[in-house]
Amino acid sequence: MSRGDSAASDGGSHPASATTEPADEPRPATYYHLARAVLYREYLIFVRYPANAIGGIVVALFFFGVLFYGGRLLAGQALTDSISGIIVGYFLWTLSVGAYSSVSSDIGSEVQWGTLERHITTPFGFAPVALLKGVAKVIRTFLTSAVVLAVMLLLTGTRLSLDPITVVPVAGLAITSVLGLGFAAGGVTVLYKRIGNWLNLLQFGFIALISAPVLDAPWTRFLPLAHGSAMLQRAMVDGVRLWEFGLADLALLVAVAVGYLLGGYVVFHYATRRARRLGVLGDY
Amino acid sequence: MARSAASERGGPRERDNSRPDEVPSGKEQADSSPAALAIEGVSKRFGDGDDSVLAVDNVSLTVERGSIVGLLGPNGAGKTTLIKCALGIVLPDAGSVRVFGTDIGDDHRAAYANVDAMLEGARNDYWRLTVRENLRYFTTIAGVDPDSVRARHDRLLDRLDLAEKADTPVRELSRGMKQKVSLASVLAGGAELVFLDEPTLGLDVESSRTLRRELRRLAREEGLTIVLSSHDMGVIEDVCDRVVMMANGQIVADDTVTALLSGTDRDGIRVVSADIDEAVVATLRERFDVRGVETGLGAGERDGSGSAAVEVAAAGDGLYDLMDALREAGVTVEDVQTVRPELEDVFVDLTGMEGGTDPRGRSP
Repeated sequence: MSRGDSAASDGGSHPASATTEPADEPRPATYYHLARAVLYREYLIFVRYPANAIGGIVVALFFFGVLFYGGRLLAGQALTDSISGIIVGYFLWTLSVGAYSSVSSDIGSEVQWGTLERHITTPFGFAPVALLKGVAKVIRTFLTSAVVLAVMLLLTGTRLSLDPITVVPVAGLAITSVLGLGFAAGGVTVLYKRIGNWLNLLQFGFIALISAPVLDAPWTRFLPLAHGSAMLQRAMVDGVRLWEFGLADLALLVAVAVGYLLGGYVVFHYATRRARRLGVLGDY
Repeated sequence: MARSAASERGGPRERDNSRPDEVPSGKEQADSSPAALAIEGVSKRFGDGDDSVLAVDNVSLTVERGSIVGLLGPNGAGKTTLIKCALGIVLPDAGSVRVFGTDIGDDHRAAYANVDAMLEGARNDYWRLTVRENLRYFTTIAGVDPDSVRARHDRLLDRLDLAEKADTPVRELSRGMKQKVSLASVLAGGAELVFLDEPTLGLDVESSRTLRRELRRLAREEGLTIVLSSHDMGVIEDVCDRVVMMANGQIVADDTVTALLSGTDRDGIRVVSADIDEAVVATLRERFDVRGVETGLGAGERDGSGSAAVEVAAAGDGLYDLMDALREAGVTVEDVQTVRPELEDVFVDLTGMEGGTDPRGRSP
């Protein structure tokens, strides 16, 4: 029996409530309602507390400024020649860091707030909530990284192909694999609380993945970000459209994204299960 | 079904004027439908080897629908672990848990469709959301479309004195208000079984009273089943139909408050008189179990010439025997009081430990 059923019958069978107070007719929530609730919560926090997002944009632009002006002083024309590739790589890195840290640290925050345990004892469980939060974080990260990208283009006077039909799916699938890493890191944080801060250092490893030599070492395409990064370079620098990519490239992009997301989810699932076995799920 | 359980107890109960335990305990209720909670032989050990701790030791417990069961025990008794085992937040090493007849191991989602819990007090909500936004969010994840229970939310906010703060972010509220928001968000989805861990912790007198009133109303009118853990014996006594006391991971008592109190030999009589002196006390000691003597009471409190009080263990006909003894000793009685044992006394007897942070803290 669902809450909806029960509450509905309560409302109908309780004359005092029916006469003095408006009766409820509870309806069951679907995954649509769940998605709406989770995304709306993320939206509210984003607009109500913009300092985090603005701070992230400022820090990202500061580091890019150091990279651009410092690099030009040191490397001169060499940097200017490769600035398009650097901007695309930096754009993908800000996306990756945003998706990874928001998911992994968000799971840690849920533990700290005592709300993770509440999600465990619901008919939906925490997994779909975590996945939907991941989607919300990716959308939010796209918005902030788009601002960073726009400023970088203005600052350097660079022109890139910004076809959203190509850029959004390729970049989105590329960072989906990072989302998987974020879930895995979140799961490990649930189990070993203090390791969370160390796992944040992983985001610097994303630089290596984004600049992985996929042509010279094809196996690196199976790593998170690497293949997606190469495709994003072709899309934004060379102007290749989504439908102009080979089917194998697109299939590998999807496979890597789904594979790491599922892998991260499995790690998260088993980590939380072990935390329940050890009785440390809500400890902080 | 929840309502049928309530009606079996004789309809609405006015707890303000009568003891909550004057209704049959959960064990005595005959109800063909499955119990709200059935815990069978649950054990949980933390750690390995010599350092391991047996937090819950082969505990079985049944909570009938519509009842309010209080879990009492000193720190480390296993209360919270037992609750978390029931909620699936901690996986037990042995035993089974059934919620409304569904084994949580068989169908986790179905089992928790009608369950919610307040485990962390004020730390149970999203502080950056408003009160109403929290209610809507937690209603949704509890499996109910929040738009369909707006009226319920309004009523909850009203009854818990939160209506004026409905659109205020929780982080801006006092600790007591946060605690009430937690409770409201737990009740918002219409769960039929709720676990409340220290629900009155940090609440002022008025808020505690409001919360108790609301808990009683929910059980009485809506058939809500509540498992309540608290160090505040006043709350347990005031609200619960039945008390389960735990010590060292085991249940040491499981009965109504009345039954627990009547099962002790702590009933006594306290007599105050200016005629009580050492000789009278010595006489009384020959015939009664004298628990204590106080001297210098009343007007002569300062110079020590006032009345004295003597408390003896006595119940029923013991009163007449005591009065006879006092008359024979020529004592003119100024005041007589019966001394009833408190739940804390029973608790100390059964567990050999003190209740907790403020066991005698009885807020109205």
